[in-house]
Amino acid sequence: MQGKKSSSHYNRQDAVFKYLLISASLLVVGLFAALFLMLIRGSLPSILGNGLGFLTGTTWDPINGIYGALPAILTTIVTSLLAVGIAIPVALGIAIFFTEYAPVKAKFPLTVFIDLLAAIPSVIFGIWGLWIIAPLIKTYVQQPLVTSIGFIPIFGGPAYGISLSLASLILAIMVIPIIASLAIELLSRTPITLKEGMISLGATKWESVMRVGLPFARMGVIAAVMLGLGRALGETMAITMVIGNSYMWPFANPSIFAPATSITSKIASEFYEATSAIYAGSLIELALTLLIITLATNVAFRYIINKTNKEAKR
Amino acid sequence: MDNCTYEKLDISGLDAWFGDKQALKGVSLRIKPKTVTAVIGPSGCGKSTFIRCINRMHELTPGNRVSGVVLLDGVDIYKSVDSMDVRRKVGMVFQKPNPFPNMSVSDNVVAGLKLIGAASKKELEAVAEENLKAVGLWKEVENDLKKSGASLSGGQQQRLCIARALAMRPEIILMDEPTSALDPASTAKIEDLVKTLKAETTVIIITHNVQQAARISDMTAFFYLGELIEYGETRTIFESPKSPLTERYITGRFG
Repeated sequence: MQGKKSSSHYNRQDAVFKYLLISASLLVVGLFAALFLMLIRGSLPSILGNGLGFLTGTTWDPINGIYGALPAILTTIVTSLLAVGIAIPVALGIAIFFTEYAPVKAKFPLTVFIDLLAAIPSVIFGIWGLWIIAPLIKTYVQQPLVTSIGFIPIFGGPAYGISLSLASLILAIMVIPIIASLAIELLSRTPITLKEGMISLGATKWESVMRVGLPFARMGVIAAVMLGLGRALGETMAITMVIGNSYMWPFANPSIFAPATSITSKIASEFYEATSAIYAGSLIELALTLLIITLATNVAFRYIINKTNKEAKR
Repeated sequence: MDNCTYEKLDISGLDAWFGDKQALKGVSLRIKPKTVTAVIGPSGCGKSTFIRCINRMHELTPGNRVSGVVLLDGVDIYKSVDSMDVRRKVGMVFQKPNPFPNMSVSDNVVAGLKLIGAASKKELEAVAEENLKAVGLWKEVENDLKKSGASLSGGQQQRLCIARALAMRPEIILMDEPTSALDPASTAKIEDLVKTLKAETTVIIITHNVQQAARISDMTAFFYLGELIEYGETRTIFESPKSPLTERYITGRFG
């Protein structure tokens, strides 16, 4: 109140600054709303033309005007979850090694390499996955598995190399540094008193991490995993290069060794071909779907955090 | 003091280093079973380092070193025993109560036993109850056994930590200024508890409070600059200290 009455130079400066900050914050909200509305508007031809069949359809046939997005949606969700599933144990392993076992001299190089891994452009992962990893994984992993346990549909042949599972692996490698660097940060914040309490009862370092360190860092680790999941859901370039871009998975061939198409790879590889309004609209609706999946992940993540927060306070 | 002739702990020529800095210099002393030994001395005199050599916690920090002989019931804990086994036999209570916040009150008590495995859920519950009773906490937490260990008050937390150490049936319990973070009422409870503990086990307790040492201990060890200056029966130390340093410290003229 007093601020309003006085008209000193400083108060005016403060007010100007305040409105600048408010408009910066509003810009974020506005951009998001504009983006969302643009996507809805762009998908209108598809929403009206394809109806709900868009979300449940399993065929994508632009020539005959059939646009079913279910395989792409499932591929995006499954590759991301698999990637995070592979990344979690590796990333936590790195973090535990770093905080508990690594000699002081090894710590700096290790952080540098983790950061470098996070900085590699995804197209490099893509080309590496396509030319180097795909043939290797085909010969040494997929083929032996197909011949031994191929009777289980999800491990069925033929082995293509480029596939859903290769995409998950490449995604996992891209997600590992994100989770690992956050987990290192979190685990090094475990109070020394708790660690020593566990050690003083005869625990090994490993037991101390599992029983005190990780539970203490649990919430942060969940946040890190969600961040990694968000990265995996949205990753485009590397996925497009290694996933095979076939609509086979999961309905024509449920094998994780089959090529597939994710939402992002579908959009990236077909946008230039989308000449009709409904074709373009269908791709934009795919983008809208991805945005909604990402938002839903975020909301679920906030829910988990809030819940664990409340539990911790109880 | 009873007429026990054998030694629970026999320490000779104990040296300890933090990197290049020597924190303990040739400490030798013997501790009889079922006694309370107070370790006193000004800050930085090596008290904590001394007790952390008895459960091999000192060596946890890279660069730290220990030399000398520590015999627990006649066995050299640095040569013949695995460090984890030493810590099961020598419990520790810390300056700041450190219950595990991710575990319930009863799980806190049996956290050490769970590491060994082997006990059934029922046995663990019984052990939790027995040790919570032993530290006088049972009546206070009987209905909150499933609550987090961190939900208790500071004094309760420290008694919970003592129960956690007791549950291992340790030969020795080391206490590193266990009451310095507590209010007077909680402190009194812990002091009473320490006096009853020696019926079962041997206690070595660091204290900054000289009166506390006089109240609860049978033996007192006075450390100064990493050396054991004087060690003997508490009454003797307080009534007629041999060293002028000891006298100056217990009369509050330094430290």
